[in-house]
Amino acid sequence: MTSLSFKPRVPVFDANVKVGDAHDELSPCPDRAGLLAEMDTHNIQRAVIYHALADKTSPVDANRALKDWLGDEGRLYSQWAALPTRRSLEQLGELHAQGRVSSVRLAGLDIVKFPFRPWSYDPLLSWLSQEGIPLWLALPEMDAHELVSTLQAYPDLETVLVGAHYMHALWVQPLMKALPRAHLELSRFEPIGQLEDLLDEFGASRFVFGSWYWRLAMGPMLFYLHHVGLSDDDLALVCEGNLVRILGEQAND
Amino acid sequence: MIEGVRVIDFHGHVGSNDIMGMVDDPDLMIHAMDAGGIDVSCLFNIYYPSGTRGNDMTAQFVARHPDRFVGFAYVSPLTSADAMVAELERAIDTLKLVAIKLYPPFVPWSLDQPQWDPIYEFADQRGLLIIHHTGSEPQAFPKYLANVAPRYPRAKFVSGHSGNTPECRAQAIAAANANPNVFLETCSTFRTPGVIEQLVAEAGADRVLFGSDTPLMDPRPQLGKIITAQISNEAKAQVLGGNAARILEI
Repeated sequence: MTSLSFKPRVPVFDANVKVGDAHDELSPCPDRAGLLAEMDTHNIQRAVIYHALADKTSPVDANRALKDWLGDEGRLYSQWAALPTRRSLEQLGELHAQGRVSSVRLAGLDIVKFPFRPWSYDPLLSWLSQEGIPLWLALPEMDAHELVSTLQAYPDLETVLVGAHYMHALWVQPLMKALPRAHLELSRFEPIGQLEDLLDEFGASRFVFGSWYWRLAMGPMLFYLHHVGLSDDDLALVCEGNLVRILGEQAND
Repeated sequence: MIEGVRVIDFHGHVGSNDIMGMVDDPDLMIHAMDAGGIDVSCLFNIYYPSGTRGNDMTAQFVARHPDRFVGFAYVSPLTSADAMVAELERAIDTLKLVAIKLYPPFVPWSLDQPQWDPIYEFADQRGLLIIHHTGSEPQAFPKYLANVAPRYPRAKFVSGHSGNTPECRAQAIAAANANPNVFLETCSTFRTPGVIEQLVAEAGADRVLFGSDTPLMDPRPQLGKIITAQISNEAKAQVLGGNAARILEI
């Protein structure tokens, strides 16, 4: 039953939050306290965060800037951005040696049209696969064929496909079928009725809630997920449990 | 119905765009409406420049569920002035469609150019409402509504998507503030933080209309934009249906 006020009925762990200013766009949320307040407004307990500079500029600098957003309250989980460059891989290696890498996000794929192929990404993808670190990929930046053929070469790699839009209405079902270790992040996924169909076909374990704040408002997709007929158990998986499982033990602290 | 509010979705389509997952299946659309608490959706078909076939499709679609759907007419200045007016007369008088949808990006003329005037004159004479697609396309800048609205004071104008982008949204708000017959509609795939709050604060809750773009987009996330916005419940009630019921007289 819908009401004029909304509060989630399960704990929520947001899989996709952007923080900080981009080089060409100011964030509406200036600092960590502001982000936590926004999360409180929408009753979101935890969030995976990455820095906005990763999208179009530098994953290395984005990761440095991200450290300013991390606190010890256990609500914000770092997501480090990566490119398949020596500098980026060295930075990731150092963070991993400190036990600080629970997920990685590919940066800037569409800026220079760098092919997502094993020959171009193998050092990163092999390392992630070997270390059991999940990878977030922004679907709008990907070539679908490259995505499938490359990820099929790393069958142990857990992935989260971010930002599928109605422009990808034809992509999503075949991608989910071809990539059994892929999860769909739902921040932009609005084709009418398709989420219910996908939930029926693949089960709730393949989906994670992400708001993609501050690109998008934090509340609407969470509201949507509460109105697609999910059982409380399945809703809890989509809103928190699947992400905890994907991130591994660091998310259980 | 949400807490006694009759929810009216001001922006929806008849006609399919399967390539982007848009399927105008009434059962699917009503399922999504029911799951969210949406009572009525306003629908139009923008894919036929003459309007004739599309308006027939809209009327037939509405006739299957007249308690859940309201039809708007569509015409395009790609056809002649006489043809547009004749089709509007048919759509309003015979098909009983209740308002007009216009889509400037489909034509080379900005929405304040004379090619559109026969439509505006018709709406003004009948006291009808027109919803334009407005946005960052040069033909669809909402600032042009401020040129049109004062010339046709008996017509009502709705800025679809409220301009979509920050710059165009500011234009839409300015047009609404300058003209009592301009209203702002909320659907947008961008779902930018703070937009609903901005529209209500800067134009007034009585000037904002909930819309979803169903079935291009599932109406539930767009409904969630209003429900999760940091505005009062009174403002939500106005945006979700009170304003639409008032200006459409339904």
